[in-house]
Amino acid sequence: MTKRRVVVTGIGVVSPVGVGTEKFWSALSAGRSGISAIEDFDTSALRTTIAGVCRDFHSEEFFDERELSRLDRVSQMALAATEMAVKDAALKAGDVGGFDTGVILGTGFGGQRSIEDFCGAFFSNGQGRRSAIAIPKSMYNAPSSNIAIRFKARGPNITVTTACSSGANAIGQAFYLVRYGHAERVIAGGADSPITPVVMDAWKEMRVLSTKNEQPARACKPFSANRDGFVLAEGAGIVILETLESAVARGAPIYAEIMGYGSTADAAHITFPDPEGEATAMMRALSDGSLQPSEIDYINAHGTATKLNDASETEAIKRVFGSRAYEIPVSSSKSMLGHSMGASGAIELIAATMAIKTKVLPPTINYEEPDPQCDLDYVTEGPRDVSRLTGVMTAMSNSFGFGGNNAVLTLRGISV
Amino acid sequence: MMTSEAVQSIEVTVRSIICSELRVEPGILTNTTHLMKDLGADSLDALNIALRLEETFEIKIPDEAIPNFLTIEDIITGVRNHMSHT
Repeated sequence: MTKRRVVVTGIGVVSPVGVGTEKFWSALSAGRSGISAIEDFDTSALRTTIAGVCRDFHSEEFFDERELSRLDRVSQMALAATEMAVKDAALKAGDVGGFDTGVILGTGFGGQRSIEDFCGAFFSNGQGRRSAIAIPKSMYNAPSSNIAIRFKARGPNITVTTACSSGANAIGQAFYLVRYGHAERVIAGGADSPITPVVMDAWKEMRVLSTKNEQPARACKPFSANRDGFVLAEGAGIVILETLESAVARGAPIYAEIMGYGSTADAAHITFPDPEGEATAMMRALSDGSLQPSEIDYINAHGTATKLNDASETEAIKRVFGSRAYEIPVSSSKSMLGHSMGASGAIELIAATMAIKTKVLPPTINYEEPDPQCDLDYVTEGPRDVSRLTGVMTAMSNSFGFGGNNAVLTLRGISV
Repeated sequence: MMTSEAVQSIEVTVRSIICSELRVEPGILTNTTHLMKDLGADSLDALNIALRLEETFEIKIPDEAIPNFLTIEDIITGVRNHMSHT
């Protein structure tokens, strides 16, 4: 089967550190946190009262009142990120329309906010507000379908839900569609808006959220011995994938080439990570892109800051890279962004793309105490200038989800 | 037979429900304003308007009546009929 080369030509991002690639990257490449105290609802019964809220996302800048009434916040974020990505790729609305453009979107929680509203109304003994749009607003495929409707993208439209690796799996599947000729371009990425009273309470019972509420920006401490869990976040990351040939033909800006994709299942435990499943996904993302382990210059880690993930991921990286594992910079963007679930894999692929493009590695912030189980180079000193690297950079982006769903992408800069 | 005050009150409430569901200004509504053609409503809006009418007037609107709610006047007449049946 002919393999077409696939490139990223547009980026759109809604994140806790800012809306739009410029704000996103200026914060991330400066090591600035987007974590803050939750203000939207009463957190007095929760152990964790902080999250990665997208405070700069003002939905009324993108939608009128009528549209807002029909769109859950997750669809709003996905659509806003798509609008930015399409514009960034220098595509006109008409260019995106038609059966050659697909939409593959990852989400872990879908329209969770709306589900909670409608459940509230249902269980309120007739006091709550019922709605005929409960289902179309809250269904998991609403964001991807809303993107298709708005941009008239009539190719494959599929929603991927593999918890925390949803966004990475979505981009991987989209990459395959373009690589093997099932679509000419795909709007791909992830979106999630799970910061709700019910979800926060449910995570509380799992005891995996950081409880370092006093200093929100310092709460998430990936790979540090005193880490105490992840910080829940929201956001959306969208990339436009198309063939290298089409990007060059239309003179589009090219950020990076997607080289390979590896996807595996632990098939072991519903939440406990397995380094073998993770390592195999990494190895497949290398071999799928005809890459040697020696070619990887940077790893954007899953790096959640849970005890289990960070140790397991470190072990998996060592299994794949051997002694070279100690020479590869590995950083966790979640230290600044928190964990936006199904959006995180997409947003972090964007972070890795920008690292390649600018030759600056985003740091792992809040690292304080060495952990013998986590002994790699986690870029803890602050943003790292790697402009000394000659030629284009090659990176890996890891995403591992509850359920044992692992997705790894490899990408490389484009020499112009 | 309803008093004219009662009829007027139904009209006011119906118009207010339509304005709030479709996010339109009350000033643009006339009795012949068409929900779909003039206000861009779709079938989901019609269902939500029916839901609000049922809650507000404590009536039951049968499924087959909803597609006939095309203009403001249709809705007001429909509500009055259903109220007299309930």
